[in-house]
This record gives sequence, C-alpha cells and structure tokens, in this order.
Amino acid sequence: MEQTLIAEAKDAPRAGDLAFERLYRSSRDDVYAYVASLLRDAPAAEEVTAAAFERAYRKRNRFDPERGEPRAWLFGIARNAALDELRRRGRQAELAAEPADVESFGAPEDHERRLAVSAALERLDPGERELIALKFFAGLANAEIAQVLGLSESNAGTKLHRAMTKLREACDGNA
Amino acid sequence: METPRDDQLIADLQALRPAPRPEFAAELDQRAAAGFPRRTHWRWTPFERLRSMQPRKLLIPAGGVAILAIAVTTALVAMQDTQPQPRLNIDRGAIHDGGARNHSCCEFERLAPAHQPGPEAASEEAGGSVTESSGTSSAGAAASVPENYDGNAQYRNGSTNLNNRAVERNAELVLGAAPADVAEDSSKVFEAVHAHDGIVMRSSTREGEAGVAGARFELLIPSAKLGDALAALSAIDEVRSRHEATDDITAPTVAAGELLQDSKARIDSLLAQLETAETESEREAVEAELAQERRHRSHLRAQLQQLERRADYSRVLVRIETGAAEESSGGGAWGVGDALDDAGKILAVAAAVSVVALAILGPIALIALLAWLAHRAWVRRERRRVLS
Repeated sequence: MEQTLIAEAKDAPRAGDLAFERLYRSSRDDVYAYVASLLRDAPAAEEVTAAAFERAYRKRNRFDPERGEPRAWLFGIARNAALDELRRRGRQAELAAEPADVESFGAPEDHERRLAVSAALERLDPGERELIALKFFAGLANAEIAQVLGLSESNAGTKLHRAMTKLREACDGNA
Repeated sequence: METPRDDQLIADLQALRPAPRPEFAAELDQRAAAGFPRRTHWRWTPFERLRSMQPRKLLIPAGGVAILAIAVTTALVAMQDTQPQPRLNIDRGAIHDGGARNHSCCEFERLAPAHQPGPEAASEEAGGSVTESSGTSSAGAAASVPENYDGNAQYRNGSTNLNNRAVERNAELVLGAAPADVAEDSSKVFEAVHAHDGIVMRSSTREGEAGVAGARFELLIPSAKLGDALAALSAIDEVRSRHEATDDITAPTVAAGELLQDSKARIDSLLAQLETAETESEREAVEAELAQERRHRSHLRAQLQQLERRADYSRVLVRIETGAAEESSGGGAWGVGDALDDAGKILAVAAAVSVVALAILGPIALIALLAWLAHRAWVRRERRRVLS
C-alpha cells in the first residue's frame, strides 16, 4: 500500500523522529495485521493499532537499539496493547472470529483451499496462531519473534515449526 | 482437496493477512504526521497516562514541587523559630512552692546570655576597682505587712478580669558608654530610679579601660511607671539591647488570696470555739490548733505579699558596658558574621526539613515501588493468561 506522511516542516526533524517515521512506514500494515489476528475484531484492531503507535511514539526516546530491533520493540508494544484490550474486554481467545473476508480468498481455484487454511487457523491455540501471525502476517524474522515473545530464537523457531505442522494437519483434517 | 505444500501454505497465509481499511490507514498517516496527538476517546487509565509521559517531563515538575515544598516548610519553621511564642500554663497548686506561673513573654531584642561574664569578673582579672552596694531603697517598698492584711481585694474570690490581672514584668537594658562616662551614667541611673519611685536592689560599678569599666544595677521599679523609667534609663546613653518580658501570675495570686480568706475564716471559727470551751483540755486543743492556723495564715500572707510585690514592682537589670558593641549581647548592627550565622541556621533547618521529608517520602516511595512491581507482575501474568 502506498503510504503518505503529511509532515509540516516547521522544524528540522530530529534523528529519532525520522527513524520512527521510517519504522511507522514499514510497519503500519504489519502491526495492524498482527493485532487484527489477535483480536479478530477490525474496529478494535484499528483502535489498538493506533494506540500502539501512539505509545511507541511517546516512548521513542526510550528505545535502546542495543536491546533489540526496532520492529521487535514496536511489536512488543502492540502485543501488550492487544493483550490489554483482550483483558479489558474479557473476550480472550474464545472470541468468535469475524467471518473471513471472502475477497481475500482470491481466484475460485484458490478459494476452497484458503477457506480450509482459514478454518485450520481457527482451530489452532491462540499462542500458535500468534506465532503464525507474527511470522506470516507481520513478516518478522525468528529472532524478532523471539524478542517479542521473550523466548530464545531456537525456541521460537521450534514453536513456529510445531505450529505450522499443526496447521498443515488441520488443513488435512479439513480436506 | 490435497494437503497444501509449504510454499503454497505460506502463500495462502499471506493472502489471508488482514489489511487495514484505506480510511483507517489514511487517518493513521495523518496522526503520524501530526506527531500522534492524544485522543480523548481512547480509554487510557490515569496510570497509563502517567506511564506514557516521558520521565524527564515528570521529573522536572516533581522536583520543582519537592523543592518548593521544602523551601516553604523551611521558611515556616524558620519563622516559627523567630516569632515570639505566647505560652499559657496555669498551675494553681504551684502556689505552695511559688514555682509555676502563667507566662506571657515578648522578646523585643536578643537577650544576653544570663551566664555571660559580667563586668565584675572582668574587673577581677583586670584589677579594676569595684564598688558594690545593695538594698538601696528610695520608696520604702519593702514595708512590713499589717497583721490584719488579708490580700488585695481585687484578687479575692477569684473575681478577676482582664483589667485586674497580676502581671510580673522584667526588663533588661544594656547601655554602651565610654569608660570615662560610666560614673556619670551610673549617677543618672540612680536619679532615674529615684525619679520613678524605684528601688536599687544591688549595684556595682567598675573603673578601668574599655571593656573592663562598667556598671550593673538590679532595680525594682513600680510596674505602673516601668515604661517611663525604661525611657529615662534608655536616654542615659547608647542602648545596645533592651529586653522586656511579662509573666502572668494572676492564678497563683488569686489562689493565695482564697487560701488566706479560708484561713481567716478558720481562725474566726477557732476563736469562737475557744470562747465556748468549757474544759481546760478542750481549751488547750483549740489554742494549739489556733496557733497552727495562725502560722499557716502568716505563711500565706507572706506568699501573697510576695506575689503582689512581684506584680507591683518590676525587676529591671541595667548594665553599662564599655568596649566594642559587638561584644554586647547581640545588640550590634547585623553584619557578615550574623549573615553567616543566619545562613547556617537556614541551611540546618533546610537539612532538617529534607531529612524529615525523606523520612516521609522514603517509605511512601518504597511502597509505591513495591506496588508498581506487583502491578507489573500481575499485568504480565494476566497477559500470559489471555493467550493460554
């Protein structure tokens, strides 16, 4: 998606602001996709995504590059915001999923297969679904996923592999 | 349907990736460009709002408030230290030992330390001549009390009012003089005392060089004339310090008057019993009791007389000093030394206030830290539970 930032050039932006702007540009849709997969509620996902960027913007000067990647830091904030929203609403993972967007299923020949994958995703544990969302919706590397979830990189890779195996088996079950 | 291959599964997952609405994306872009202004409709708790603030922005106002609070408290404490402290302490039972009194004290200037080496001590070292006298009375104030004296009527039956209060006044006056003027000033002191019907209880004068020569007078001045007398004494030479204090002795005076009345009534009663006594032994018993009661009445009368004299006559201490004014009892001009002293006192008070503030804020900060840690642990546990 084309991203446009309307910046008023009153003052020369600081390096931290420019870095955050780059982070925002590169992560906006990824954050939304991840949050939406956790909440499975589009309006709530929009609120939480906006809140996560707002919090990250306020804390941007506290980011320590030595402690990890900026994207992992941003997704950590987004994860906390999403989990707080789930806690606040008491909906947790039992939340009824929104009906899948049929248009995203693409061509008719892909439709049935993607419907099966979507259904298989629903049968995964919330934690496994989060791993897959971080990997394939947000596009994070295993090291970044590990940092977001507070795991070691190898542990994150192992868990992701198990989740994918389970997803594939669930697809088999659907088939 | 066949099982999807890995690459196909990944492609399908990516195709299922939720995408934001273009309207939301555009709105978020605008908010990003504006620096994410705060939204009022977002349900942030006060704690979250506090957390969202930068620590530097919190520290500056918090530090300012803390410094302001310490400064105000320091100023208040310092002002309390310098302001006169009115005191009221009534103890009727103290009449028997004459110790306790009601106090009402006003300091107008710094009072010289009571144990400050007097001119007498200085003269002994310097070998100056000392002349002492005592008990010089100009008004015969220590007149004997009549046998039928039963206390001042204004204090009887506890019917005192504000205008009838018994107040003891004390004053101390330090005059600065040249050594050659000490004798002349001393004469003027006597003249002033006599002019106001006062009594010179004790006096001493010393000759010598500056710092050695001086004089000291212990005076009793009729309280009604104290103001005029002090004015006259102050006009003799340079006033280095002047201090006045008042003690309210109404309560012990009233109590003494009441006890004296009771004793008189008891004596009258005993005299009546004596008249009606029929046997010798009965008569002797009443006489013994009467003698004891009369002794008691004499004692009470002396007490009452002493209290009334304290109210009627004010004790005034006049010292004539020679030498530098700074050596007197703090009556000199405010200088660098005084400024350093005051600065030290203010710093000491500020340090004391800071220690007290630390003692209060320390435990509060510790509790807040523990509460914050507990809250953070609880939030983390709840977040884990959400996805479990």
